[in-house]
Amino acid sequence: MIESQYLPQKVYVEKQSFDFPLTKRILENLSQIPIEAIENPRDLIENIRISRNIREKGKTYLLLTRQKGEFVKPCPCTPYYIGCNYFIINLDLNCPLDCTYCILQHYLSNPLITVHVNLDDLWRQLDVFLRRNRAGILRIGTGELGDSLALDHLTENSKGLISYFREKRNVILELKTKTVNIKNILKIEPAQNTVIAWSLNSRRIAREEEAGAPLVEERIDAARRVAEKGFRVGFHFDPIIRYPGWEEEYGEVIKRLFNAVDPGQMVWISLGSLRFPPSLKTIIKERFPSTKIIFDELIKGKDGKLRYFKPLRLELYKKIIDLIKNWGGEKIPLYFCMESKEIWRRALGWVPKGQESLQAYLSSPFGPLKK
Amino acid sequence: MKKEKLSIDDISLKDERFRISYYFPLDELILSIKKIGLINPPLVAFRDKHIILVSGWKRVLACTELAITHLPVFVVEEEDELEIFIKAFYENLATREFSLLEKAEILNRLIRFGEDEQNIVRHYMPLLNIPRTLPYLDSLMAISRLEPEAKRFIQENSMPFLPASLLAEFNPEERRLLFPLLSPLGQNKKKEILENLQDISRRIGTPAEKILSVQEILKIQSSEKLSSLQKAEKVCLLLKRKRYPAFSSWEESFESLLKKMRWPKEITIRPTPYFEDEEFSVTFTFENKEKFSANLLKLQELASREEFSKIFSLDYSFK
Repeated sequence: MIESQYLPQKVYVEKQSFDFPLTKRILENLSQIPIEAIENPRDLIENIRISRNIREKGKTYLLLTRQKGEFVKPCPCTPYYIGCNYFIINLDLNCPLDCTYCILQHYLSNPLITVHVNLDDLWRQLDVFLRRNRAGILRIGTGELGDSLALDHLTENSKGLISYFREKRNVILELKTKTVNIKNILKIEPAQNTVIAWSLNSRRIAREEEAGAPLVEERIDAARRVAEKGFRVGFHFDPIIRYPGWEEEYGEVIKRLFNAVDPGQMVWISLGSLRFPPSLKTIIKERFPSTKIIFDELIKGKDGKLRYFKPLRLELYKKIIDLIKNWGGEKIPLYFCMESKEIWRRALGWVPKGQESLQAYLSSPFGPLKK
Repeated sequence: MKKEKLSIDDISLKDERFRISYYFPLDELILSIKKIGLINPPLVAFRDKHIILVSGWKRVLACTELAITHLPVFVVEEEDELEIFIKAFYENLATREFSLLEKAEILNRLIRFGEDEQNIVRHYMPLLNIPRTLPYLDSLMAISRLEPEAKRFIQENSMPFLPASLLAEFNPEERRLLFPLLSPLGQNKKKEILENLQDISRRIGTPAEKILSVQEILKIQSSEKLSSLQKAEKVCLLLKRKRYPAFSSWEESFESLLKKMRWPKEITIRPTPYFEDEEFSVTFTFENKEKFSANLLKLQELASREEFSKIFSLDYSFK
């Protein structure tokens, strides 16, 4: 397995963030990298935002700062489609990988790889959050505004997060990644309420549209090792992308996945097709002139995002669901990210009746967790 | 700056280094100067033994039209061309709104006279109501570098930023083919044609010029029966079909079903945009109880037909 780990060219540390243990740990792990103390990250961000190659430049710098607002937020999801009632922890922002379709290019005004170092505030806020949300089982993760493990060799945050959540009874932690940065995970005693999840795609999409990310077979191999260690694993086929031959190539990945990883360790598989706000199309066109994925038959959905015309999405989902079921995933909970009731009904044969029903469905493999 | 009175013939209009305004109508300005004279003197500078115009092209051209022989001017004494241009910029900024083409020319001159790119983004673009990003600067620079015919088209059609920047992404030959198609259309349709054409071209890897030269389009364009608006609309539809084949076929199936059912014109039936939801809506107007009941009866009759249920099961196995 090739582990290409992220190393910034420079680390910017907000002056008031120097004394945090996480800052010290990251700087120890980056002892050879130049460091600059800065008064206010906003000025730095502003300067980079008006320079050329903002995103490329942003990925070369690591910013250590404090989260001044809320660490925990409901996943923004998208209006008019069924959400999956997920909560996100905004610990790292941005990602060293450079996927063409990445929403963060549009969503985050700060282009720097950013780590929020005030972990004490995170634990405090999580305590309050969990106290307030005792009913039902919650799902929470760090992989929405960044990759959960891409910086783990520097931050080692996976250890702290898994330890914190291990004792909590009504919550499932998901660490979602495209990387194979699993050294720390393999050193930790598995927690039954932690899911290590991988975003998967066909080999061609991974090769052409997911720059910097490991090969799909490497991701699957990492998942195998983590599952064999005893962790539960999840998978996200998102974004599923159409191109001539997609069916065969997604089929190969699904076959490889089920040949490598014990389905008994898989707790969920989510599906989502390519979708993005129209303004991201301009960014993708400019940054990735050779990609063709944005020129396929994408119409404006109810939420204003571009997505495949409904019959095309349905065709994608039905075939991928069939493949998953045929290769041994009949019992694994499948769900959609940002899809309509009609798609749920036509592709999966049922529609969740509210968030509780979806929560119950997705936490079904975690029986003992329930109070 | 000193004020002088100059013969209009002494001002060299050939030197356009400071010029930002092109393709403008002069009628109103001519009327104004005729009525109250020239209130704001243009700015001029000495360059290479000539007096050149820094600001006030419309004013000088209007005076020429009116056969005015002498006019008051302010002579700018600075040597640095950036400084001179900035003077002209602020003189105009305070008094009028710039067109898109003028904004592009302003940014072009700032770059040409050596202003720092980041300073332009940070300082000048907000003054011009342009988002502070380099991609916007690049797009506007591309517009400023277009051939005169394209610039004239943008100016005379008051094209907004998005379609104008799309137009700038085609090559001159493609633009030449596009002008007659775009001309009769409104801004939204202009943008739709440009977007669809570019998307098709990138998706299939065929130059736009080739797409526009297919027999189907040439036939539409050479038709003597169609007006220029009808031609443009037909090409627009054709490109939409190529851009969205599945959706277009779905839409056509829906429309052909309605046709088959002889759906009455006075009752409108609409799917949700792009058939994204399963629901349809029906609307009709009525002025009395009888008319209302007649429409309901008609709807009941339509609902009983076999074709009606097909509306809810358009082919999902589409490829």
